[in-house]
Amino acid sequence: MKRLSRWLRIAGTGISFAAFGIGGLLLALVCFPLLRIGVKSARVREERAQYLVHLAFRFHVRLMEALGVCRLTVSGREKLREPGQLIVANHQTLIDVVLIGSLLPQLDCLVKIGAWSNPFMRGVVRAAGYLPNDLGEAVVEACAARLRDGRSLLLFPEGTRALKGGELGAFRRGAAHVALRSGRPLRPLVIRCVPQALMRGQHWYDVGDRPMQITIEVAEPIDPRKRIQHDESRGAASRKLNAALRDFYEGRLYAGRGRGLADALQGRDPQVGHRPDEDGIPFPR
Amino acid sequence: MKTEFHFRDEELRLSTHLVDDLDLDSIDAVDLAVRVEEKTGLSLNEADLKSIQTIQDIVDLIDERL
Repeated sequence: MKRLSRWLRIAGTGISFAAFGIGGLLLALVCFPLLRIGVKSARVREERAQYLVHLAFRFHVRLMEALGVCRLTVSGREKLREPGQLIVANHQTLIDVVLIGSLLPQLDCLVKIGAWSNPFMRGVVRAAGYLPNDLGEAVVEACAARLRDGRSLLLFPEGTRALKGGELGAFRRGAAHVALRSGRPLRPLVIRCVPQALMRGQHWYDVGDRPMQITIEVAEPIDPRKRIQHDESRGAASRKLNAALRDFYEGRLYAGRGRGLADALQGRDPQVGHRPDEDGIPFPR
Repeated sequence: MKTEFHFRDEELRLSTHLVDDLDLDSIDAVDLAVRVEEKTGLSLNEADLKSIQTIQDIVDLIDERL
């Protein structure tokens, strides 16, 4: 029975990938061209495209839940209602963007440049006006400009997904720079996923023994103005803010965990050496 | 570099690598170049910045131009 359910979830994951690709093509070839008719303003076009992406992501999350791939729980969701937020998240799985995008009707993203040549993603990243990550230091101003326009923006300080094992990667200072440039607080999302799947360095069919239990915690904002003095150079200020953000995530994800860290991240209880019951997510709160 | 990035003295040796040891990013590089230009009156171009890897390289570059 357990083996059957595992095969079903592998099939479900495969179907989800296929649906993602087909969805991207459908949006690009059918929906976005229709959307452009009669809309002159680039900004309105982008916002409508982002709203469609949001609806597609919501559908995709429901599909993945129905297929037993994952189960999503969100706490503090109402904090995302206010527009123009600089949202940061730890990057766990391949579907993080889909999950977060399903929560926000408008969301700008920084996307790796490869997406502009990927046939399944090209149409979407163009129409939605997402920012490419190859602009060098100009990307900070591009991101800050979106925030000043009242748009919300998602950045992953780690820049890439965590390796299997789930340890936080090094934090790049881009998100801190954007916060300082725009004067916006950082709104951290804490993503936890047990059992681990779809992480970097992990095969897509490596699905674990039950659906991925994913929780997204919308945390309180980290305000740069409260932490940085006025006369500080941006080099020093960005380091300080980045360290504060890193401390926040380490506190949230690793608090109270000593050597049992790797075990806890694998979903095993370090005390008894086996997985806790299905309901308990083995992360200290 | 101490005032701009709050580095400690012992972190700053001639052989110190700016990216590997001090974790400078592209924004820091621009700020550093502006500081060097202000202090020395030199004007640095992109090729100059790309040639800089260590603190020794900065010293050499300034030495060469002044």
